Amino acid sequence: MAPKFPEPQWFLALGRLMAARGELFRRIGYVETRFIVRVLPDQDGGNDDGGGEEQNTGVAMQGYALTDAAALAPGAAASFDADFTICARRAVWRRMLDEIARGGRPELRHTLNSLALIGDELWLESADQLREDKFYRFNQSLQELFNLAAELPAD
Amino acid sequence: MPTVPIKDEHRVGTEARYKVEPSAYLQKLFESGTPDLSWMKETGQWGMHAKPSGLGLRLKDIEIGSYGVVPERGGKHLSMAPRGSIVPDNVPSLGFTINNKDECWADNVTELYEEAVARQWSSARDIPWDELKPLPDDLERAMCQLCTFLTEVEFIAADAPTRWMSRINQDFFEVKLFLATQAMDEARHMDVFRKRALANGGGLGKASAYSELGLKKIFDAPSFSAQTGRLHLLGEGFVLTIFRQGEFIAPSRVDQEIFRRCMQDESRHVGYGTMHLRAQLKSRPELAEEIHTELDDAERILLEIFSEPESVEPMAVLMGGGIAHFDKGMEMQSQLWRRIVGEYLQRCDSAGLERRPRCLLPTDFAKLVS
Repeated sequence: MAPKFPEPQWFLALGRLMAARGELFRRIGYVETRFIVRVLPDQDGGNDDGGGEEQNTGVAMQGYALTDAAALAPGAAASFDADFTICARRAVWRRMLDEIARGGRPELRHTLNSLALIGDELWLESADQLREDKFYRFNQSLQELFNLAAELPAD
Repeated sequence: MPTVPIKDEHRVGTEARYKVEPSAYLQKLFESGTPDLSWMKETGQWGMHAKPSGLGLRLKDIEIGSYGVVPERGGKHLSMAPRGSIVPDNVPSLGFTINNKDECWADNVTELYEEAVARQWSSARDIPWDELKPLPDDLERAMCQLCTFLTEVEFIAADAPTRWMSRINQDFFEVKLFLATQAMDEARHMDVFRKRALANGGGLGKASAYSELGLKKIFDAPSFSAQTGRLHLLGEGFVLTIFRQGEFIAPSRVDQEIFRRCMQDESRHVGYGTMHLRAQLKSRPELAEEIHTELDDAERILLEIFSEPESVEPMAVLMGGGIAHFDKGMEMQSQLWRRIVGEYLQRCDSAGLERRPRCLLPTDFAKLVS
């Protein structure tokens, strides 16, 4: 069965695609960051395939590779020592991934940066603005990583 | 070995102003044919084996042995002689005036330099210009005015720090290398926004006297650290948020790619400035007042820039999606103003500067008029 977002195996599959698209990521430049993808249950609980639970996946990117992805138990996020956490409800992530599946990238105002800028549907958490700024320093690589989801089987 | 031909060789040196006698060493070499080789024994620490990481051989990989020690005080010879080399007694001074590490250093500077080199891009090659489509007139005019502003202000972040770059002791070469990448980044920003303004049926709009005043104050800052406060902490932090907004309001993928790539570059500059001020304030806490004074004035000028229609309205038109939705655009702009101020204050926190009580920028956009 194909892994589902945000399972670690889903991100590791993206990592394999990233390795296969080596030239694209080398052209953009290397990355050194650790971040958490936080999926919050939908407010109405509808279509929530995560069992209504918050899910946290820690992702590490080093150089031109996704080097680690791990499910983080509730309350264990701090131990991952992430630069930033990207938080959104499941429906918002779902919409982004659906748009990526359709067009290879999200709609213009639904990119990671655009959503984080407005901050109501998707937002960043970090204890240090300098570490949060890595979201911007490596943004092109992060967006291209998520855009690779277009090549994963629909879950 | 064949002789390399040189055009008009017989004329070379016929009008030379100096006559140089061969040195005793050269005379001896040509007479005896025996090399001197004394330089082989005059070396810095020897036997180094710097190992490349998975990303190649980076600056941090050659921070080994004595070569990895960045001195608190730069060499008194004030020359370009490389740190760690044997420096002759008779090297001429270049008159560097920034000779203490804390005056220019940031702990992330080598990391940011390598990152900058690895993440360079080309406005000609990497922007999908052929996807540019005609926009409604109001959106194109707003985008062109925004591009005019950015073309106007971006290169100050090359011109101003490089004035100080030539005064930084060569023993802190890592800082110079980073500032060189910043200058290159700003060159690309100036060129890409000029290209965008001219690429889709518009052109350049109106320059701003208040922006020019702000640029002049950055240019004339009395010290490198004072300039860093104005430029990196407030100015570039503010522009970083504009780039983030630009990525959001982009009416096309062309504009989105431009703003996203510029955003990445600008984040590095802000990262250096914040960490430099942190190091500087830790070393010399009394400098905080000088930085505060610079920021008092810089914030005042920023508010004046935001008192002009050509600064406020283009972003609102782009945010709202056209003049017809100007109110919506202004509402979004006011929400984002809080983000600009919030992120600026957090960077001040990171730098170790308690700015909140003295900050002139209102947290609510509406207070700009009340």
